[in-house]
Amino acid sequence: MTSLVFFYLASVIILGGGLTVILSSNIIYAALGLMASLIGVAGIFILSFAPFLALVQILIYGGAIVIVIIFALMLTKLEDFRTLSDHKHWPIALIASLVTLGTIIAAAFYTPTNLVSRRGVDFDKIAHELFSQWAIPFEVASLVLLIALMGGVIMVRKTNSRDDK
Amino acid sequence: MIELTHFQILSGFLFAIGLYGVLARRNAILVLMSIELMLNAVNINLIGYSIFMNASESHRALGHVIIIFVITVAAAELALAIAIILRLYRNKSSINTDDINIMKW
Amino acid sequence: MDSNNTIGLHAAWVIPLLSAAAFLIIVFSMRLVGFFFSDRNKLAMLAPIVSITAILAGFILFWLVLLDVLNFDGGSISMAWLIVGPAEIRWGIFVDKISVAMIGLVTFISLLVQVYSIGYMKGDRHFEWYFAIHALFATAMLTLVLADNLLFLYFAWELVGLGSYLLIGFWWEKRSAAEAAKKAFITTRIGDVCLLIGIILLFRETGTFNISEIFHIAESGEINNAILNSSVLLIFIGAMGKSAQFPFHVWLPDAMEGPTPVSALIHAATMVAAGVYLVARMMPIFELAPEIMLIVMIIGLITFIFAGSMALVMNDIKKILAYSTISHLGLMMLCLGTGGVAAAIFHLIVHGIAKALLFLGAGSLMHSISNETNIWKMGGLRHRMPITAVTFFIGAASLAGLPPLAGFFSKDELLLSVLHDGQYVVFAITLLGVFLSALYMARVAIVPFFGSVPKNLAQSHESGSIIWVPLVILATLSAGVGFLILPLGSTYPGWAEFINPKHHFEIKPWLMILSIILTLIALILGWSIYVKKLVSAKQISQFIPYLHKTILNKYYIDDFYQWVIDKCILTFGRLVALFDRVVINDTVVDGSAISIYLSALKTRVFQTGYLFTYGAAMAIGASGLTILWWVLLD
Repeated sequence: MTSLVFFYLASVIILGGGLTVILSSNIIYAALGLMASLIGVAGIFILSFAPFLALVQILIYGGAIVIVIIFALMLTKLEDFRTLSDHKHWPIALIASLVTLGTIIAAAFYTPTNLVSRRGVDFDKIAHELFSQWAIPFEVASLVLLIALMGGVIMVRKTNSRDDK
Repeated sequence: MIELTHFQILSGFLFAIGLYGVLARRNAILVLMSIELMLNAVNINLIGYSIFMNASESHRALGHVIIIFVITVAAAELALAIAIILRLYRNKSSINTDDINIMKW
Repeated sequence: MDSNNTIGLHAAWVIPLLSAAAFLIIVFSMRLVGFFFSDRNKLAMLAPIVSITAILAGFILFWLVLLDVLNFDGGSISMAWLIVGPAEIRWGIFVDKISVAMIGLVTFISLLVQVYSIGYMKGDRHFEWYFAIHALFATAMLTLVLADNLLFLYFAWELVGLGSYLLIGFWWEKRSAAEAAKKAFITTRIGDVCLLIGIILLFRETGTFNISEIFHIAESGEINNAILNSSVLLIFIGAMGKSAQFPFHVWLPDAMEGPTPVSALIHAATMVAAGVYLVARMMPIFELAPEIMLIVMIIGLITFIFAGSMALVMNDIKKILAYSTISHLGLMMLCLGTGGVAAAIFHLIVHGIAKALLFLGAGSLMHSISNETNIWKMGGLRHRMPITAVTFFIGAASLAGLPPLAGFFSKDELLLSVLHDGQYVVFAITLLGVFLSALYMARVAIVPFFGSVPKNLAQSHESGSIIWVPLVILATLSAGVGFLILPLGSTYPGWAEFINPKHHFEIKPWLMILSIILTLIALILGWSIYVKKLVSAKQISQFIPYLHKTILNKYYIDDFYQWVIDKCILTFGRLVALFDRVVINDTVVDGSAISIYLSALKTRVFQTGYLFTYGAAMAIGASGLTILWWVLLD
């Protein structure tokens, strides 16, 4: 029962943060809403006996990603960001997202699954899987990060002489 | 008791919110944030199946492993997306998605 | 390959291969040898040495083949070429008296022309290439006369066409030479296509290309008469193209653009002889189609008279000789039309030698007087170039039919053959042609060599020995070869019986006297017109102005062809081009492109370029696919 209360609490934080992101007209509020939402997801991870994932979530999303986004805001024009307006065709977007929502919920109810009660996965088991069976994808992921880093640096580098023309 | 359905519905709502944000917001950084929301919705779904599925532990560990990869890829994607946005801002003085339509006829 | 053959038969198939080898050696090794010789003139002399060695060896082997034919009556050798279902196509050679005579003629004339060319073509830019294509041409011609099946013969026939194209267009930098080569090739090509159709028709009926087998089947009467007639006619059209018979004669006078030795080779012994040879070779099936024989005779007669009249009015020495060649080829065809194979082949040889002599003599003339060809600008050259003059007179007198030169005997045989056929009108017209022939020969021989020497030719002199030695050899033969017609001893029963044992040597004294009288009248007339000026040629031409003008314009045949090409063929071509432009290009090709372009104009509005459009479409599409998947699964 307690867990259910915590789950609803986390859900309210997540969805409230998400709604702030999509409805706020001030981009700083949107960023803060995103941060709240991501921390809520960390709470969900804790409820799922996955403290490591919760830690990663807070470190990477809450710490790194939101901070990078706020950096990006600082580097672009801040004064425009207080009066954000939505796309003029937003009803179509609403319909598209509602259709998707309906599809997902219907799928949730119709998917036949063989379920047991909630239990975690041993942390050392995850580590064992990650570094034995998924070692190569893990290494590839590190390469992806490296290349993304290099790409980002190259792309935002000071313009060279050819670009100035 | 928490059921898998809770996770699925929460995931669905968060995904729908993210999708709406991607489509309706005009600011590129907000679009980026909405994409993060969608990725997190997927993560919620993955962790839900990981803890409720009747399967061997190594299979269920796969859910966790994929979440780690999703977070990694999200970080990489964000780095590149921010770089693109900064570049765009420098060239066009705007990060409004409506101003970016050079792909059209 | 069969084993029980005599050495002569094996010698026969080597003859064309020698020339082919010479061609390949010259073409492929000249660059290679260039590395070792710095002096280009020394290097250039290798080409004639190679090709003349090959043709000389061929001429020596000819005597082996001849001995073999005299003793064993020839035969054939063949080996498999293609096996297509039930039909086996072989390549092989067939040696009989006609082909051995042709081998002798071709190798001999080629040999002399090549030797002569060393002097004539000295210093030409493409000296080696000249001898290479001479070797190629000899290969083609020798293969043609030896081939034992029609497909192989056609193969050689086309190769002859290629060789003539290359030789006529040898000075291809000159536009008129390139045009003439093209004209010769295209005109003979019309005949070639007909020949190919005829061969295929025969193959369809008999299932074989082998000439003797076709004769065998045809004689047993197994071929449908209509098909036999049409295929024989088509083969004759092929022969007409190559032998420049009316109305395909137009290419031959233009072919004079080639070097003069080439004219001697093509118009004397080889290319134009191919058509006559083909008809002679196919004579057994021609005889089964009497209507076609009549056509052969009529075409030959028309060509004989018609080309003879044109030879009488031309001013260019090479053109006169060219029309004279056409005329004599017509005479051979006429004789073949009456069934006189022996007489036709005999005249082919006599004419080949004499005409080669005349062309080479004309070449010698032109060589020493800076390539002047108009006979009215020459004169009195008999003192300057005595050897050329004497040999030229012998050649001309032989063709005019003056006894005891070879032409007299061959003409006598021809007239006899025509007379035997019993067509007295044809015989009378033939006599007229004989008269014309003697008259133009008198004209072409008298005008350049008598009278006064024009001032600009004062420096002219006799050509070098490499040029006059072949002339002397040819003149000797031209005078002497006629006696072959007579029975010489017990082994040689005279030409007619040698070729066809059913015939016998015969003499009709009144015919001989008639032909001598005609020739003499023509020669005296020529003498009085062109030397003594008793009768003015101009007055005669003014007496019949329209006829003169028509003949001078070559009976307007070239103009007619030009008109057909300009008005009919080009108009049709424009129609086709219009169809291509409007239907194929504008409607089908551009039309489909334009319809795609127009539909793209309509559909491209979906490609807004906005993130919103793509995202919404993607989301709705993904949901729709999921729902569809569900519906289909349930």
